[in-house]
Amino acid sequence: MKNLLKIKLLAFAVTSLFAQSAYSFGFDDLKNLDIDKISNIAKKTEGLKPVDNNAEADIGKGVAANLLGAAPLVQNEPLQRYVNQLGTWLAMQGERPEVKWRFAVIDSDGVNAFAAPGGYVFVTKGMLLRMRNEAELAGVLSHEIAHVLKKHHLNAIQKSSQTSIMGDLAGMAVDTKQYGELAKKAISAGTELYARGLDKEDEFEADRMGVVIAAKAGYDPYGLPAVLQTLEAINPQDSGLALMTKTHPTPTARIQKLDALMNKNLDKYATQPQVEDRFVQTVGNYARK
Amino acid sequence: MDKNMKSNLKQLALVCLMLLTLALAAEVAQVVTSVELKKEPFSDASTAAKLPAQSLVNVLKRQGAWVNVKPATGEQGWLKMSAIKLTDGKTSVDGKKSDNGLGTLFDLGKKSRSASNGVAVTTGIRGMSEEELRNASPNPAAVSKMDSFAASSSDGQNFAAQKQLRNQRIDYLKP
Repeated sequence: MKNLLKIKLLAFAVTSLFAQSAYSFGFDDLKNLDIDKISNIAKKTEGLKPVDNNAEADIGKGVAANLLGAAPLVQNEPLQRYVNQLGTWLAMQGERPEVKWRFAVIDSDGVNAFAAPGGYVFVTKGMLLRMRNEAELAGVLSHEIAHVLKKHHLNAIQKSSQTSIMGDLAGMAVDTKQYGELAKKAISAGTELYARGLDKEDEFEADRMGVVIAAKAGYDPYGLPAVLQTLEAINPQDSGLALMTKTHPTPTARIQKLDALMNKNLDKYATQPQVEDRFVQTVGNYARK
Repeated sequence: MDKNMKSNLKQLALVCLMLLTLALAAEVAQVVTSVELKKEPFSDASTAAKLPAQSLVNVLKRQGAWVNVKPATGEQGWLKMSAIKLTDGKTSVDGKKSDNGLGTLFDLGKKSRSASNGVAVTTGIRGMSEEELRNASPNPAAVSKMDSFAASSSDGQNFAAQKQLRNQRIDYLKP
């Protein structure tokens, strides 16, 4: 059964390889995004509700679709539910309750984690399997949650675009076609960010916020530094780490920045739980299959 | 013994085995500069030994900013996390190979099962490369699938309550 799946996946991969030239980079298929529906909602609520949350959700959906086109979801419902429960508990400590948070483990051996606008958060299988406990996973998810709380990706999309794309999107929601085309551009720029990376300062800010979010949720806040220390030990030339290396400050620099700040402010939370048993049970059950 | 209880016991035994495996597969770290090994995880705790720069230690556990380590000779003790760097798995203390994270379990899995069933944790085989990201064709169906796993606030609260995780107010850190 497993082998059959492998053959199917391989066949799919080969077909996609040939099909790739037919797709331009970006997002050609906006049909599934239900722009019409969103625009109609925008029409009805115009003047009452800021439309940019809708646009953010829409861009996030497109970027998430692109990311999941590059690496599929891990096929394990208990594991996916587990990261959603943990992620939701962490996001509840943040300041954007209006965001619809969703979390996923993606089937890639690369060591990385991603966030998309609108509350989509991803961690790779390769990264998950290098962690020791729930506090470490909490640290990584909180770092990604912080990117969404601070709208780092949306700001970067805005910066990379010639026009005021985000402002235009907010003002243009009533016009379905124009809105669709602008959203398409934003999705394309948003996907490109995974290859280019955010500003280093945004990464440091997400680290600073991430350790606090984990502590607020009741975890030992040193989970994130512990993961960074694991990354530090991997050869940066390792192809599994190549994208992370390219798009983030070095783990050593990140640990050093956190270390000084955390000693002063978060030491009193250092004895909070790491929750090793539930993590080992859930991730172990998945990995044994 | 009813069926449920049996399966619960089986589950518990498996988790214990996994935790044991994790504890046995030592992580090896190198001491960055010469440092005092503390008897407890506090700066003002008494010193157990002085470790020279570059010396190797086995990492036993962590607590906050502190790591519990065992040098090749002498007693175990505590160092600040920043005093060590983990090694890449090629070095060893007492002949134990270094291995970081839960991935350890799957090497065991590979040995005790057929190779096709073991989950490999080698990196770089199917890492997400820049090229793969740029050339990906969108998968909106997977996004819908992801949506279906979303948790509610009460799910989140229950999840925290299961492990007595209590939330609290803490200010964000200023750079």
